Amino acid sequence: MKIAALLPELLRHLFKKPATVDYPFKKLEVPKDFRGTPFLHPEKCIVCRACVRDCPAEAIDILTVNETEKTFKMIIHNDRCIHCAQCVESCPTDALEMDDLYEISAFSRWDLKAEWEFVKAVVKLKPQPSGTPAPAAPAASSSEPPAGGGSQPS
Amino acid sequence: MAILKTFLYLLIYPGFLFLLVYSTFCEWFDRKVFARLQNRMGPTHTGRFGLLQPVADIIKLLAKEDIVPERADRKMFSVLPVIGLAIASTAMLLLPVWHFSLERPSPNSFPGDIIVLLYILSLPTLIFFLAAWSSTSFFSEIGGARVLTLLFGYEVPLFLAVLGPAIMAGSWRLAEIAHFFQQRPLLLLANLLGFLIAVICLQAKLERTPFDIPHAETEIVGGTFTEYSGKKLALFRLMIDVEMVAGAGLLAAVFLGGFPGGVFVGFVHFVIKTLFVIFLLSILRAVTSRIRIDQVVNFSWRYLAPLAVLQLFIILLLKGFVL
Amino acid sequence: MKYSVPIGPQHPALKEPISLRMTLDGEVIQDADIRLGYNHRGVEKVAEGKTYLQNIYLTERICGICSHSHSTCFVQGVEKLLEVEPPRRGVFIRYLVSELERVHSHLLWLGVAAHEAGFDSLFMYVWRDRELIMDLLEMISGNRVHYAINTLGGVRRDLDEGQVKKILDSLALLRKQSEYYLNIGAHEPSFVGRLAGVGLLTKEQAVDLCAVGPTARASDVPIDVRKDDPYGMYGETPFEVCTADTCDVLGRTVVRIKEVLVSYDIIEHLMRNLPAGPVAIRTPRRPKPGEAVARYEAPRGENIHYIKSNGTDKPERLKVRAPTLGNYAATVEMLKSGFLADIPLIFAAIDPCICCAERTATLVDARTGEEKTVNFSTLRALARERWKNAPLKKDAVWPF
Repeated sequence: MKIAALLPELLRHLFKKPATVDYPFKKLEVPKDFRGTPFLHPEKCIVCRACVRDCPAEAIDILTVNETEKTFKMIIHNDRCIHCAQCVESCPTDALEMDDLYEISAFSRWDLKAEWEFVKAVVKLKPQPSGTPAPAAPAASSSEPPAGGGSQPS
Repeated sequence: MAILKTFLYLLIYPGFLFLLVYSTFCEWFDRKVFARLQNRMGPTHTGRFGLLQPVADIIKLLAKEDIVPERADRKMFSVLPVIGLAIASTAMLLLPVWHFSLERPSPNSFPGDIIVLLYILSLPTLIFFLAAWSSTSFFSEIGGARVLTLLFGYEVPLFLAVLGPAIMAGSWRLAEIAHFFQQRPLLLLANLLGFLIAVICLQAKLERTPFDIPHAETEIVGGTFTEYSGKKLALFRLMIDVEMVAGAGLLAAVFLGGFPGGVFVGFVHFVIKTLFVIFLLSILRAVTSRIRIDQVVNFSWRYLAPLAVLQLFIILLLKGFVL
Repeated sequence: MKYSVPIGPQHPALKEPISLRMTLDGEVIQDADIRLGYNHRGVEKVAEGKTYLQNIYLTERICGICSHSHSTCFVQGVEKLLEVEPPRRGVFIRYLVSELERVHSHLLWLGVAAHEAGFDSLFMYVWRDRELIMDLLEMISGNRVHYAINTLGGVRRDLDEGQVKKILDSLALLRKQSEYYLNIGAHEPSFVGRLAGVGLLTKEQAVDLCAVGPTARASDVPIDVRKDDPYGMYGETPFEVCTADTCDVLGRTVVRIKEVLVSYDIIEHLMRNLPAGPVAIRTPRRPKPGEAVARYEAPRGENIHYIKSNGTDKPERLKVRAPTLGNYAATVEMLKSGFLADIPLIFAAIDPCICCAERTATLVDARTGEEKTVNFSTLRALARERWKNAPLKKDAVWPF
């Protein structure tokens, strides 16, 4: 047992650059697939409501604006969102995606609400391995790569 | 004119104003060194290099709500921080930083001032204990009991260690001791062991890691200061800073050859030597972990006190045979 | 003079609310009492109203530090119910995250223990290194705390070559730094002096009081679910169960340090033998009626999830036994005749995760019933008397 075993290490660090970052002034970059906040590409949404069904935090609402014109409104309550990206994974048409922002605080929970009003899209579904269309399929997950995800051998 | 000069001394340099500015600077220095030793940044943004951070902390505390516990002794509770700060500042008066000429001593340099200084430096401990006791909280009371237990640990080795150079110089006057070692700088090496003991004891006196037992936040919340808030806590923090400067000054005067060379050169000597002592204190803080109160008493009586006696013995031998 | 000191529910040493009532004689603890229930969140009830898929994310939020262990344990149980087997690549990635989490949890603990002991330099250095692990987890899963990598039938994200290489690179750096700092921390006399001989828990007590995880292993009880009841690929992964025989906080530190190094080995093994193939398979949404128990070696010890299915897509009952709960009884024993100064260290040494344990806060309250007549300590005395002469069932088989 040595006395002051840490001393050389401490003195070595006295003249080294600090390991910490001067945060609000300098920011670190987030990795490629960072799970930020979900957002919608309204032109792709076919209103299958798979995201509403699978969202663990019940943060997504899809309201019908006009039945005959097929206009719908999606609300993402970011105050409830837990940023798990399950909606992105459940979406059969890649209409939902995650951004990479991490400074998302707001003064009011109403400022955190994101809304999109759109006409229901008619998009060809991407092929599923089992051949069944995704909204009807009882799939908890698919082996598709997540939106913007890494390469995946399958 | 002489009275004006004395007032200038008392209020500006090296008196009250200088003391406050310099003690906040010393806190900044201590925090910065501590942070850099741990690969962190330390104070960065308040003022240039974060120099104003301790001042900002104190101003912030001054603005906070001031709470006195219902069951506490109100007068005692409120007056202790002020007395504490006054005592710590008084200690500074006795340091030989005021260009004392040995022939015409000013009233605050007299034979025996080293003893007075040591006793004045012991008083803050009593203040802490009284503060803890008068705030009538479990955690403060435990903290207060620990303050006194700690006192028994470090006080004797500190006195013995400081005694060494005084015996060697054959004087009880700080200015004369400093002067003696300025004439024979090599003799300072003989006191190396005593200097290290004194640094450790000063660390204990200032209640910093590894001796921060009286206010170990993970055990007894704020310890002595649990019930203190706002202005009173700010005064206590300032008092600890001032005590650090005074303690470092004492060590610098006794073990590092004092502050020769008039007002300006003496000032440079003072800053460099006290910062050196504070640097050692910072390293000691970074390199150790907090120890238990029984381990402190054990450590100081088993190692520190005998080593201090050994140092004294060496000095006596030196004085008897060499000088 | 005897007096009782409340530690908690709010106290700087406790990052989460729990109440410890200490009866002190001077600085020595005479008796200790633990009160739970300040952090009850009703997670188990919420789980009954959500689908299995949604519950993965719910169970993940039981704990902030060992989030992956709860979700993995739940997913293991549900996969048993669904009668599916995740593909091998998925299993490897799932337990890669698992081991990374163990490393980060243990490093976090070491930092906290150093802080409790007032050794802030070690705390800073250890947490700086832990940041490498956090970055790896963020790279793999997309988030630093709630990885959300599990899904029914595998994992959600795959690793590419660059990521595998980065993991191995970071691992080499980490191993070097960890070994150096752990070595140095273990040689700092004031730190070791604070840990040694504190919070004694003999082997017999550890067995009697059902201690789990590093707490038990530090009392020389070699229990580790990864070895005793291997799940995933642990059956074929070479590793050893780390134990210590000093039975004190120092032993618990040593066990955790050894486990970090063993975890580095496991991660390296996983990365070198990563099989090709898909990472997840499609699973049905509704399991058959039935029940399943999953066991998982979380960083703090054995984690148990019991899931009962009634044929719908929502569980009928979810029961979580978090490892911290298993260690409470032992903690009371450890605290006795210690010093006041050691409370934070002893309590931190079980690595308590109160938010994990608090869902099941009924242990004290429900079992004691009328709290005034039978308190926890008499109950424990009764329990110990009951089991004192009972032989240990060495070859007991888990009943499923």
